Amino acid sequence: MLCEKCNKNPATVMYKENINGHVKSFALCAKCASELTEMTGYGKSVYSQGDSLGDVFENVNSLFGSLFGLPAQQVRRQTGEEKKCTLCGAAFAELVKEGKVGCPECYKVFAEELAPTISRIHGTGVHMGTAPERYKEGRERKEKIAELESKLKRAVEAEEYEEAAKLRDELRKLKSEEGDK
Amino acid sequence: MLWYEMTGKENDVVVSSRVRLARNLADYPFGGRLNEPSALEIIEKVRGVFDGASGYSFTQFNMLSDTSRRAEADRHKVSPEFAAKKTPTALIESDEKQIYIMVLEEDHLRIQSIKPGASLSEAYAAALEADRMIDGKLRIAYDEKLGYLTHCPTNLGTGMRASVMLFLPAITATRGIRSLQDQLGKIGLTIRGMSGEGSSGDGCLYQVSNQITLGTTEEEIITKLEKICENIAEKERELRRKYFSDEKFNDKAMRAYGTMLYAILMDSVEMTKLYSDVRLAAALGMIDGLNVNVLDKMLICGMPGVLTEENENINTPTDRDRERANMIRRVLSGNAGA
Repeated sequence: MLCEKCNKNPATVMYKENINGHVKSFALCAKCASELTEMTGYGKSVYSQGDSLGDVFENVNSLFGSLFGLPAQQVRRQTGEEKKCTLCGAAFAELVKEGKVGCPECYKVFAEELAPTISRIHGTGVHMGTAPERYKEGRERKEKIAELESKLKRAVEAEEYEEAAKLRDELRKLKSEEGDK
Repeated sequence: MLWYEMTGKENDVVVSSRVRLARNLADYPFGGRLNEPSALEIIEKVRGVFDGASGYSFTQFNMLSDTSRRAEADRHKVSPEFAAKKTPTALIESDEKQIYIMVLEEDHLRIQSIKPGASLSEAYAAALEADRMIDGKLRIAYDEKLGYLTHCPTNLGTGMRASVMLFLPAITATRGIRSLQDQLGKIGLTIRGMSGEGSSGDGCLYQVSNQITLGTTEEEIITKLEKICENIAEKERELRRKYFSDEKFNDKAMRAYGTMLYAILMDSVEMTKLYSDVRLAAALGMIDGLNVNVLDKMLICGMPGVLTEENENINTPTDRDRERANMIRRVLSGNAGA
């Protein structure tokens, strides 16, 4: 049986799509199936090791494993309505096909769609490393606020009201600075 | 000076250390979505940052000849993908600081520092210095949760790929690479042969690098990689003492050295093979006065791009093999009293 999409290669994968409960299935070749459902990497030189999404998958089998592990919801989104990036104009389906993100703004516009891919690559952590100068102030302020809040809680629990009032004022000041930004 | 013209720490095993930071300008699309006027705009902006900065020079890279671009990739100053690009690209470099900034590689900016031997921390410090120069002047794409935003999500977070090139003939000979690969995979690192995916590594050269870039600090990545490479180097040395300090290997290596010194024609496959045996013998102190870094220099200078760039009269593969043999003799006799 030939792939129902390209009509060229033999079909090796059954692809199921669930849109609002309507289930359709297609027989596809590996190439069309991967284009439809997953961001794949490209073969690259050793120089850019780890740079392509392909490196995330050890081999074709695990590639397909992860591909069919995709939540039905995400498949629906990929085939459903067309949301476009406000800066580069890309739709999510195009990013999937290209295997790369279109522009920095895409990470905001398609935050939800990209989240499973990102956590599959990196785990669920958030950025811990250096930051551009313009973000550093905000980051330090956030850390300071968290520290003061826990101190305030302890002060209230210990009934040290004078200390608590001081901390409260300091917090108020920091939070208003944050609001200014 | 270029990295291969210097002697690095731990160079019996560690050939070089490299750090690259991926950075992008917040207001421009990536890769294929970037049109030529915008690409030229980015190049101009980055050029502006380094205009007048001492020690840095600017090259409109795609305007160089194919040979020169290839030569820069052979010297590990730029990636082969970058060297192959015909669309606008630029290189901002400082051989003195060993910093090479590829403009419009996969990301808008790839700040790279490559240094000889075990010197990851130094390479990171150099790359960070260039990063700070750019940060003050250009709006870099960044998100508080995802860190530096990159064309490919595999580089999110620190945008940092730190890698160490290791010379592992004994681990290779004892078939230890596969198990090393498995162990490193478990802690978020990878090891690959220089000639590509899963290869046994021409010249027994391998690159060990971090796989994960998000959720960890740059310092953590560097420290982990340094520690692991120290352990690998120890293992390699132990195996060398055990299996390669005998007369039989000494004989094999000296024959290889003889071929290097007296060959008239040498192709790159043969050079790489000889490199491995002779480098191992030199590291074990079997060849009087021959420093391993001379051999690393020979390997780089014997790459087709570098050879062709430095010898205008190369027209055929035989010319190249002759010039390669000449170069090898020159480099070795200049350094080893042979």
